[in-house]
Amino acid sequence: MSDFLCKINMLDIDLTDQRYKISFLEEDITFLAHSIKETGLVIPPIVRPLANKFIIVSGFNRVRALIYNNRAHNNETKILVYETKPDATDCSCLIMSITALAFKRPLTHSELIISTRRLSQFLDKKQIAKKSSAIFNIELNVRFVEDLLAIGALPDPALELIHHGNLSFKSAKRIASYEKEIIKVFLNIFSKIKASNNKQLEIILHIMEITARDAIKPERFFKNQNIQDILFDENKEPGLKTKELRAWLFEQRFPTIFKTRQMTREKITSIKLGNNIKFLPPQNLESQNVSISFTAKNYSEFEASVQNLHAVIGNKELKEIFNP
Amino acid sequence: MKIDTLFIDKAVPRDFETDYLISRLKTDPQWVEDSKTVYDVINTADDPVSKAKKTLYITQNKGAVIKACPGTSYYTCCDYTILHTGTFCTMDCSYCILQAYFHPPVLQYFAGLETLGHNLEKIFTQNKIFRIGTGEYTDSLIWEKISLQPKFLVETFARQNNCLLELKTKTVNIDSLLPLDHNGKTVIAWSLNTLDIIRSEEKGTASLKARLEAARRVESKGYKLAFHFDPLVIYPDCENQYKKVIKQIFEHVRSESIVWISIGTFRFMPKLKQIIEKRFNDSTICYGEFILGLDNKMRYFKPLRIKLYKQIISCIKEYAPNLLVYFCMEDEEVWEKCMGFFPKKEGELGHYLDKSAVTHCSLNPHFL
Ligand code: SF4
Repeated sequence: MSDFLCKINMLDIDLTDQRYKISFLEEDITFLAHSIKETGLVIPPIVRPLANKFIIVSGFNRVRALIYNNRAHNNETKILVYETKPDATDCSCLIMSITALAFKRPLTHSELIISTRRLSQFLDKKQIAKKSSAIFNIELNVRFVEDLLAIGALPDPALELIHHGNLSFKSAKRIASYEKEIIKVFLNIFSKIKASNNKQLEIILHIMEITARDAIKPERFFKNQNIQDILFDENKEPGLKTKELRAWLFEQRFPTIFKTRQMTREKITSIKLGNNIKFLPPQNLESQNVSISFTAKNYSEFEASVQNLHAVIGNKELKEIFNP
Repeated sequence: MKIDTLFIDKAVPRDFETDYLISRLKTDPQWVEDSKTVYDVINTADDPVSKAKKTLYITQNKGAVIKACPGTSYYTCCDYTILHTGTFCTMDCSYCILQAYFHPPVLQYFAGLETLGHNLEKIFTQNKIFRIGTGEYTDSLIWEKISLQPKFLVETFARQNNCLLELKTKTVNIDSLLPLDHNGKTVIAWSLNTLDIIRSEEKGTASLKARLEAARRVESKGYKLAFHFDPLVIYPDCENQYKKVIKQIFEHVRSESIVWISIGTFRFMPKLKQIIEKRFNDSTICYGEFILGLDNKMRYFKPLRIKLYKQIISCIKEYAPNLLVYFCMEDEEVWEKCMGFFPKKEGELGHYLDKSAVTHCSLNPHFL
């Protein structure tokens, strides 16, 4: 590990140099600061001497907590750290930083992406995969490393979106294969909505298929007023925006299916079968089987439902549902 | 597509048929113990499907030579019989199911005319009408220029009277067939599509004009014809484009020469979509309004299929009111709405087709 334990002046730490910071989390350090004050520092941070200053290799939160404590309580300017060996390299420090976190808890996707991207300055994908269990505490195959690197090359705010769960790993992987301008479109969309992985993939799929079918660029499609109205309405929750966007995209992608379903729904409503009777038209109109069902707790409920059904015999809309 | 690698199974005897193939292929053959070498070459390629289209494996058919067409449940099938003469194809249609059907796809030519003959003899002696085709797992005429098989088949079928041979193709490889004595038992069938679809989705196939010219030439030699509009692709103005193709058919050949026309809209196993997207960047064929059919294949939304079918059928009927038009893999509702009837009973559709075969190809009507 590091060479020696020592006390350094906290003013000598260059907090702006975050080259070894792989975590996205800017955690609240109040509890940590409190714990250090009560219990003492269990594991000192690791720092690397560089150009008359120290830069943090591992323990960004601990350093922040120590600075907080020092300022708040004792005006102490010295903090206890491990100082890396003088011959430590950028690569070894980066590995140290990743390892320290990875063996504490599983890395998040965004941390894996940042780590791999930084490591790729020193190691190729095969080397990363080979050393992965020792660095990441998990085995990564070359294909997965490739995916991480591809996602790592996505522009801002991709990582932030991944970190906050607005962009799933699978969706990020999918959009990473597109051109720069298209990537921007999706990053823009996913920064405005909040959707599950499957819904994100559906949105990507529908946009790419509509634009391919209609031979228009996704960038141009994105400027469509309907999309803009949905995404940039400040009064709408991200969840509602997702719902509206998906519905609108479905209508564009499957116009006939959308219209037919809507018409069928309207017809079913107009028949007024009552709440107790479930009427399911054939799925996608491929089969011809309509399902009609009701439950009855007693004879009078049964009788009421049967009478309801009887009353709609001959109904024009009902006939149309059976003979579209 | 040119064959750049030729493998021959060591079990294939070095006879006239094999020598003929080798001499025409102009590629040094590599004799192999079994298919493993061939699979390895294909599987390790960046694009195994493209590699497979250039790698020919001459071998023997180790499975059934003659088998019933599998069909699918829920959709009416025509009781066709498949003569298994090879697999895969040198042409490259984006929608070709064979890309996803074989793992990996291997371009196989099954040598052994004698075996073919023996198997056919068993069928020829049955008191039943058979419609037999070689174009199910491959294109029937891709090897016409280098193989004796098409000639052998045409002449073998000419000597019996209960079987029709259908050679289904998108090529214009017909020259060696023209002088043959086919005795009316061979139907040469072309799969047709609109100019747009041929241009965008049927790489390496003959043009529409060339296919229809070829149809005219074989018709002049007494061959009967069939046409297959399969897959019909739905896109803006497709109805008019298909009508133009229909018009051209009847400008080239007489309706009396046509045994049947089949129609079927594009349908595909879901896994084919990925292959198409990967291999045919510009293809938008999978971006129509598809739903998952009852046979787990993606199919156009039924009202769209019905709309296109109705127009195509009425257009064909304008030119040839009595011509047998049938659906490949459609359900009762589609039949009823487009044709006004449904061949409900098992074998009913097959029977209609058999009748047309008997009439057009002078098969024995007692076997109906
Ligand atoms: S011609 Fe037929 S067999 Fe050949 S690639 Fe096209 S669809 Fe497939």
